[in-house]
Amino acid sequence: MLKQLQGILIFIAMLATAPAIADSSPTDDVRTSVEAVIALLKDDQLDRDTRRDRMREVIDKRFDFRAMSQRTLATNWKKATDAEKQRFTELFAELIQNSYVSKIESYTNETVQYPGEKQKGRKAEVETRIITSSAEIPVNYKVYLKDGTWLVYDVIIEGVSLISNYRSSYQEIVKRDGFDGLLAQMEEKIRELKSAPAETG
Amino acid sequence: MNKLLVLLLILAFPPGGWAQDAAGDAEAGDLQPDMTTTAEDDAFLFEDEDILEVWDPIEPVNRVFFWVNDKLYFYLLKPVARGYRWAVPEPWRVGVKNFFSNLAAPVRIINAGLQGKFGDAGNEITRFAVNTTIGIGGFFDTAKDHFELRMKDEDTGQTMGHYGVGPGPYLVLPILGPSNLRDGVGMFVDNRMNLLYYISEGRTYYGLRVYDKINDLSLDKDTYEGIKKDALDPYLFVRDAFMQYRQNKIEN
Repeated sequence: MLKQLQGILIFIAMLATAPAIADSSPTDDVRTSVEAVIALLKDDQLDRDTRRDRMREVIDKRFDFRAMSQRTLATNWKKATDAEKQRFTELFAELIQNSYVSKIESYTNETVQYPGEKQKGRKAEVETRIITSSAEIPVNYKVYLKDGTWLVYDVIIEGVSLISNYRSSYQEIVKRDGFDGLLAQMEEKIRELKSAPAETG
Repeated sequence: MNKLLVLLLILAFPPGGWAQDAAGDAEAGDLQPDMTTTAEDDAFLFEDEDILEVWDPIEPVNRVFFWVNDKLYFYLLKPVARGYRWAVPEPWRVGVKNFFSNLAAPVRIINAGLQGKFGDAGNEITRFAVNTTIGIGGFFDTAKDHFELRMKDEDTGQTMGHYGVGPGPYLVLPILGPSNLRDGVGMFVDNRMNLLYYISEGRTYYGLRVYDKINDLSLDKDTYEGIKKDALDPYLFVRDAFMQYRQNKIEN
């Protein structure tokens, strides 16, 4: 009897806290971020740097760069020290943000559709479709539920997983030049991207 | 509906249980007493992890051709495509793309059929009939725009992959770009199924194929430039992206 009562109490407690755990669907969360980015793209009041900074903020909130880093490094992650993990995550976040932002900047006039989502427990895949004048590009976001929001841990563009792609490239580089070599090359790349002149068109 | 599902899941797996489940999958001896979920605890994120091993026995040769194609792209193809983009309005270029794609319909019809995907084959037959007639020789994708019939890309390489033929060694082909033995052979067969091969010959045929490529490039949003800019090693990036792209096409 007491056991049952306890069960009911726990059930009620769960009911009360459930909305705080997940009050939006995976698609809702992804859509919020995608639309925030599009709104920034369309806002011509902003100069280029402010816009990029704001976009990074939006992306930062939605992307779990630590999970992405862990997935990218796979076995090398387990071997890395905490400091190395931290450093890699920072560099990797910067690279991903850069490539994501510059890619999305070329899609100003296109529309995004949300044809559906597949959810399996704490993991889900949100399908989006970027409609351009000549093509439809499927972009899927793999998300997982963490502290009440759905966070992106992989992006799949036309069947190509961003993380898998980085994983195999980075694995080769670690094999060839070591983990320090990889970090050095990432730092070099970021310097390069920062010093590159702003391109147009 | 989703809320209910999440609620049921939470009831079935109390928050503490997740950490244990996940840790149990990874390292059983490493159980954390507290319930905080760090990324490391979320081992369930990695269940679908499969590393695509690329067989690249002639990498040095491939890298040479990759370099040649890179120069060809930046110093010849892209400038031409840019000039063409400037001179020709986009709707025309989209029409040209549709036209060439329509001529390749037999490739998709035959290969969908060979894989037993008869629904897709029928869809492609309808698309070909509609676009060739109402779409004025394939210039308009009327089937997609008005009848919601989307193109499903099938080719001989995918058919071989469907029946278990592996990709074989990765190859970078001069001018044509990334490929592998299976898909290279497939491409050769595809060209013979393409109506373009039967309505033109010799120089005209190759000229039209180059035109098709330039036209495609004029519609592209600097994909390759992006890769060159972002990737630590563009060769590896293109290679792995290509192999994943093909694998995904075979599975769908």
